[in-house]
Amino acid sequence: MTEFLQQLLNGISLGAILALIALGYTMVYGVLRFINFAHCDIFMVGAYVGYFVGRHVPEHTWWGGLIALVAAMLVCAALGVVIERLAYRPLRSAPTLNVLIAAIGVSLLLENLGQHFFGATPRAFPELFPVYTFQFGGNSGVVLYSNQLIVIALTLVLLFALRFVVLRTKIGTAMRALSLNRQAAALVGINNDLVIAATFALGSALAGAAGVLYALNYPSIDPLMGVLPGLKAFVAAVVGGIGSIPGAALGGLLLGTVETFVNGSEWSTYKDAIAFGLLILILIFRPAGLLGRNIREKV
Amino acid sequence: MNPPDASRALPRPALALVAALAAAWIVSHFSDRFDPYYLDVAVGAGINVILAVSLNLINGTTGQFSLGHAGFMAVGAYIAAAVTMLAGPSLVGADGGTSGQQSLLFLGALAAAGLAAAIAGLLVGLPSLRLRGDYLAIVTLGFGEIIRVIFQNIDALGGAMGLNGIPAYTTIFWVLAVAAVTVFVVTCLVRSTYGRGFIAVHDDEIAAEAIGLRTTRYKIVAFVVGAFFAGVAGGLYGHFKQTISPTGFDFTKSIEIVVMVILGGMGNTAGVILAAILLTVLPEVLRPVAEYRMILYSVVLIVLMLVRPQGLFNFRRPGNRP
Amino acid sequence: MNPAPLLELDRVSVRFGGLTAVNGVSLCIGEGELVGLIGPNGAGKTTTFNLIAGVYPPTGGTVRLAGADLARDGPADRAARGIARTFQNIRLFGSLSVFDNVRVAMNLHREASPMHTLIRLGRFRRDEAAIARRTGELLELFDLVRFRDAPARSLPYGQQRRLEIVRCLATRPRLLLLDEPAAGMNPTEKAALIELIQRVQRQFSLSILLVEHSMKVVMGCCARIAVLDFGEKIAEGPPAQIQSDPKVIEAYLGENHAQSHTHH
Repeated sequence: MTEFLQQLLNGISLGAILALIALGYTMVYGVLRFINFAHCDIFMVGAYVGYFVGRHVPEHTWWGGLIALVAAMLVCAALGVVIERLAYRPLRSAPTLNVLIAAIGVSLLLENLGQHFFGATPRAFPELFPVYTFQFGGNSGVVLYSNQLIVIALTLVLLFALRFVVLRTKIGTAMRALSLNRQAAALVGINNDLVIAATFALGSALAGAAGVLYALNYPSIDPLMGVLPGLKAFVAAVVGGIGSIPGAALGGLLLGTVETFVNGSEWSTYKDAIAFGLLILILIFRPAGLLGRNIREKV
Repeated sequence: MNPPDASRALPRPALALVAALAAAWIVSHFSDRFDPYYLDVAVGAGINVILAVSLNLINGTTGQFSLGHAGFMAVGAYIAAAVTMLAGPSLVGADGGTSGQQSLLFLGALAAAGLAAAIAGLLVGLPSLRLRGDYLAIVTLGFGEIIRVIFQNIDALGGAMGLNGIPAYTTIFWVLAVAAVTVFVVTCLVRSTYGRGFIAVHDDEIAAEAIGLRTTRYKIVAFVVGAFFAGVAGGLYGHFKQTISPTGFDFTKSIEIVVMVILGGMGNTAGVILAAILLTVLPEVLRPVAEYRMILYSVVLIVLMLVRPQGLFNFRRPGNRP
Repeated sequence: MNPAPLLELDRVSVRFGGLTAVNGVSLCIGEGELVGLIGPNGAGKTTTFNLIAGVYPPTGGTVRLAGADLARDGPADRAARGIARTFQNIRLFGSLSVFDNVRVAMNLHREASPMHTLIRLGRFRRDEAAIARRTGELLELFDLVRFRDAPARSLPYGQQRRLEIVRCLATRPRLLLLDEPAAGMNPTEKAALIELIQRVQRQFSLSILLVEHSMKVVMGCCARIAVLDFGEKIAEGPPAQIQSDPKVIEAYLGENHAQSHTHH
């Protein structure tokens, strides 16, 4: 039983990070109908920003950790906006395939620039926040690390913040309008360019936060660290229903938990393939995802 | 009035194939006169041509954006190696047998490689068929990764450490011959009334259905044929490098092949062949700046999409479609 | 009307969730008939059209072609049975040439196997030559030969419309469904379209269902017209009868109030 609870806890912690990344995918897809392949590399950049800032703040402090987190979010938000402006906006009216390929190009560029400037060897992430260990149920009970708690807590905070922005602010409403009908949104006076930039900024900031939080729990970072989590987060977004924000959160949680349980079982070497297996199943049986809507092409 | 029809625009393709095979045989006959380094580059280029032309059928002609082509290559590489290494000794004797027997064994291994990859192509194609561009891309990517993970877990084939000691059966003849056959098959397939259907499915699936084309069947055929040749290319690759490992067939490899197809102009066979050769030769030429190669690739991809999405070598196709 | 209609809609309904787009519509099209389907916007014309084309299955009622229930047959199956259709927003194969656009439609009535394209025996070559000849004939018949090698997307709009119809004819249909073919045409083009439709019907002896907004085109072509409003059939008969039917006038009057004389 404790084993189960332990795995569940680990799974939720991982799931929270996947959810944060998935949100970026789903938001951009909702607004632009394309998969931002470079999103996972923004996650990586966030981790590296956290690393470099973290080397200049004292370890094990709350404010040091928060500074690193905020720095990562800001840098990633800016990066997301720049990428959108340079590589995606010129292709907004081009066939989706073109911008997909451009996104792949951006992703490769970020990864290779990372390898060039940071080297391919992994670096050890500093211990940003104070570290506590909580033990429940005696010595062989469930162990909860403060870093996991921080991940879950911060994810919840960010999720609620996002929800607030999307549902209660003007820009959030504009985002929702854009995702429903881009042309109509422009016609009612919404500045599409601005809203899309804001979407990228928000999604990228979340990815940056995810990068720092991920590195807190898996403290080895390298320029290619975003590839697998990114793919899994995308699967999570699809499973939850691409375009749906609660869906991304749900999908992330689901995927994180399933993967953690698989990792603890005898099939652990297949854990990377689990995500894709799940993706294929969902796309066959319920392509709209758990919380998504099915949109038919008009004849 | 006698309209020129495509089957005649390709004068006796079978004859062209025989001529190409003869040329391949002649080239390989004199191969010991060439610098082995250049020969190696040529073999690498040939393998890339096979990969690119086979992917072009799926991505370029039929418009199914597949990002898992390296997975089919992996299947072929491993199956071919399994045949020559595990079944080989019992078929031709432990010492390797005569060169004639070796060739036959290799042919069998390549055929098995292609067949296995074709089956993989069927398994990937079937669920993917009703998915749109970006979803299809991710699913095929996922399949490529699943294949990689599967091979990583088959210890009999080396597992994560890879498989070494594969016999060096690949020669310039094999590579040129298979490349010629690949180009022959793909060209014959597409340049026919039947083959126009692939392009129709790409251009407008709804209209294609409305005129009675079985779009599902076309997509499956594209996947299966493309996967078949990727598998054969994998077999050639394995018996060239003599060592293979699952990580060598990952997403990065798939992307390299995709770049060749895009650079050459999706759907444009001649352009894709040129691009494959260029992208094999260029890294050799750029060896001194090898670490910048991938950075260059990615910038080229982005710039290409912004400026010339129809590819570098595409002079026929109008418009801005890649 | 012939005793055995080619196409029979028997009290068909189409519901999308809570919305009933088509409600108990019955319609018959006989062999060789040219029937028009009109109605104000939102009347359910396009839905009925798509129903016959196989895009949606009926929520109620049946659609029968020559007595056989089409059930859940999709568009490709219906093409095989002899139903061809055009699209409101022209859907040509843009990158294929004009010649190939028609030629690819010839695949329907032959056993096209990929293997045959590789082993090009005599029969394959004869087949291809015959297809090329028939395609050429069709293009010549409709004055499109001068464009034969041009990419379809480079054609002027009117010719694209024409090509789309010719492509349909390559599938040897028994029933041709035309979805607002006059959209975006000026009066001269409309006159040419009327002549084209009539010629197609005569030369290929097929039945045609024409959904149109342009009264000029509908009244000029059709022997019989059915009128839909709010998903139900409110009138049916020859053009003159329809034009003076008070129910029809009222259905359009609500829509036409602001644009009474611009409709023609």
